[in-house]
Amino acid sequence: MYHQRMSGRRVAFALATVMVVSLVFVGRLVDVQIVRAAELQEQSLQVRTTSETLWASRGSIVDQFGNDLALDVDRYDISANPSKVGDFRRAGVVVPLAQAVAEIAQVTGANYDQMLSAISADPTVQFTYLVKGVTPEAKDALRELDIPWLQIDLIRERIYPFGPVTANLTGMLGRDEPLGGVELAEDECLMAQNGFATYQQGADGVRLPGTTTLVEQPIHGGTAHLTIDSDLQWYVLQQLAEHGGRLQAQQASAIVVRVSDGHILAAADWPTFDPNDFTDAPPEHMGARTFSAPYEPGSIMKSMGVAMLIDAGHTSVSDRIVAPGFYNIGSGRFIKNMLVSDARQLTTAGVLQTSSNTGMAVLGERMPQQQAYDYFRAFGFGEKTAVDFLGESRGVLRTPEDHDPFTRFAQLYGQGISVTAVQMAGAYQALANDGVRLPLRLYDGCTTSLGEFIEAPVAEPIQVVSASAARQTVNILEAVVTQSALRPVLEIPGYRVAAKTGTAEIASASGYGSERVISLAGMAPAEDPEYVVLVSFYKPQSSKVSSAAAPAFTDLMSHVLKHYRVAPSSEPAIVPPLTW
Amino acid sequence: MSVLTVKATSKARESGSRPTRPVLTALKGPKLRYIVATLVGIFAILAVQLILSIALSGGAYEIASLKGEMRNTEQKRQMVAEDINALIAPDTLAGLATSMGMVADNNPAYLRLSDSSVVGEAQPATADSGAAVYPVTAGSEDVTPPAIIAAVYESLTSPQEISPEVPTKPVSTQAPVATPVAPSEPTPAPTAKRFGGSIPSPTTR
Repeated sequence: MYHQRMSGRRVAFALATVMVVSLVFVGRLVDVQIVRAAELQEQSLQVRTTSETLWASRGSIVDQFGNDLALDVDRYDISANPSKVGDFRRAGVVVPLAQAVAEIAQVTGANYDQMLSAISADPTVQFTYLVKGVTPEAKDALRELDIPWLQIDLIRERIYPFGPVTANLTGMLGRDEPLGGVELAEDECLMAQNGFATYQQGADGVRLPGTTTLVEQPIHGGTAHLTIDSDLQWYVLQQLAEHGGRLQAQQASAIVVRVSDGHILAAADWPTFDPNDFTDAPPEHMGARTFSAPYEPGSIMKSMGVAMLIDAGHTSVSDRIVAPGFYNIGSGRFIKNMLVSDARQLTTAGVLQTSSNTGMAVLGERMPQQQAYDYFRAFGFGEKTAVDFLGESRGVLRTPEDHDPFTRFAQLYGQGISVTAVQMAGAYQALANDGVRLPLRLYDGCTTSLGEFIEAPVAEPIQVVSASAARQTVNILEAVVTQSALRPVLEIPGYRVAAKTGTAEIASASGYGSERVISLAGMAPAEDPEYVVLVSFYKPQSSKVSSAAAPAFTDLMSHVLKHYRVAPSSEPAIVPPLTW
Repeated sequence: MSVLTVKATSKARESGSRPTRPVLTALKGPKLRYIVATLVGIFAILAVQLILSIALSGGAYEIASLKGEMRNTEQKRQMVAEDINALIAPDTLAGLATSMGMVADNNPAYLRLSDSSVVGEAQPATADSGAAVYPVTAGSEDVTPPAIIAAVYESLTSPQEISPEVPTKPVSTQAPVATPVAPSEPTPAPTAKRFGGSIPSPTTR
């Protein structure tokens, strides 16, 4: 009986225990599965979910042949957490810290001492860079070293494969933002937008199927096309360096324009900078002075002066005038010539060929100021070129109301007017193209990441002077080459070349000083010009006369003719009468 | 079952009342094969699901590894493109040409095929007309040239490379970087600082 009771109590106790334990479990189950279900699921999702940046690359800048002038590449930043570095075991062997650093140095070429001191200087620091911007090759080698404390992060780096060649035009990219040139001006085309995705991953880091959510699509940048021929641009830059060095010039610029379409094939500034490393480049040499730095051009402007005088019917090529030694403009001021001081009997052709300032003044009397102003505007002076380069200058062209008597005449021979080299190249393009000035072109358009080409707007051509006035002027410019003392320097065997020299005085607050800008502008082949070349040297020291710029012009022009396989001229030049 | 059903129906016919039994009697004797079929079906579905799930996650691993491979290949392509860019850079080509003793001739003549006439006035190139490579930057930038340029210079200056047997050897698809240079022929270290003008070349000016 007792036994039976005992057994019954035991059973009851066991049953109660089981009940209690079951209740606890059920309670826990309800808590986990129902009460806190949402919260826990959220937590687990967070642990499994990883976000991923979908890198988009900034677009490339390419030249007319599609060569990359600027592009994005993959690089890696190598960093470590100094509070966690130390010896580690690799394949059962203990690798001391110093050896690991030495291995990193060997793979990346970075400085061993610098890295070691960066790691060991302050062990409480959580982060330090070891090497920045290593190549994918070096990254793979680093991964194989199997150093547990090494942190490797992908970055995008901008590289400029041709270095300084087109630096003045492409500009450069600073920390994530463009700092100048096409990089900045065409940022809208080049800009990339990184995307963003989330996914869930297992313990081994493999993403779980079907869990990827694209939050934001990455948008790659477009490709910006320039009209530049980088081989030519390189040669031009080399010539500027050679001749600029010889002339001890402060700086030099040159432009090559294709006459038939106004494309700028080369626009170089020397000295320039390397956009791959511009930390200690002087700021004054980091832009495109061809576009941004206006100067008083001097005698190369006389070509435009004569063309407009002929076009307006104020003179003709063989028109006879007397160019005085001094030309009195009143109030005690005189215009004089650079070389001769006696009166000469010249034709209009002779005025341009001998570059007579007083002769230009005599001819200039015949042209109303407003008319001259309108011609200058039509030639493109006083306004930005169609290129509209970042920071481009309009130059200075005074309105007739603003003129003093001196400026009125001086403009015709390139004083009292400021122009940029690219404006001047555009004006010579008009002379070379039968008087039709085509809008200059540097940026051709943008190919978006979807492959769509968006052409840059094309401006209308302008008939500046008549075809006959332009051809007559070019014919006179041929005589500058063939009939002057510069003939041996300027002549290119087999080709007819038309060119004009210019020595401009640099105006300062106290008037014209002794510093000069010497330049040469011209075209070839003269019978049907295909290319315009303009070269100028700023503040040359070893020689300050324009003839000193002639060898550079000839080198450039003959290279252009060879580079583009221009057929040699077959007809000899006809020399217009120069004196009477 | 059929007997029961028949009975029930006959009973219902006799009494004319609503037949209530047949439903219950139908459930009373489930045939074993239906149970088996259902269970087999369920297990088959579960098994297929399992296999599919395994295949799916296997595919995820494959995708992950292929994506990694794609990234690596893309990076290799990029590295090769970088090397090509470095090699076609005008200053590299000019420096290489100069180091091989080539000079530029700015006065070429042309042969016109239509009438076999020589057009232009040819002048022989002199050492003077060749271009040295001038530095063009104002700052003291120090950009390391890609290793490939140094490698090409090395291969140019190496006597093994210009020996006539070379063309008959199968051309390696690997970069010429790997070409061993005879240790007995020390080549001048290519100090080609990009665009810096120190590319090894005979002084021509």
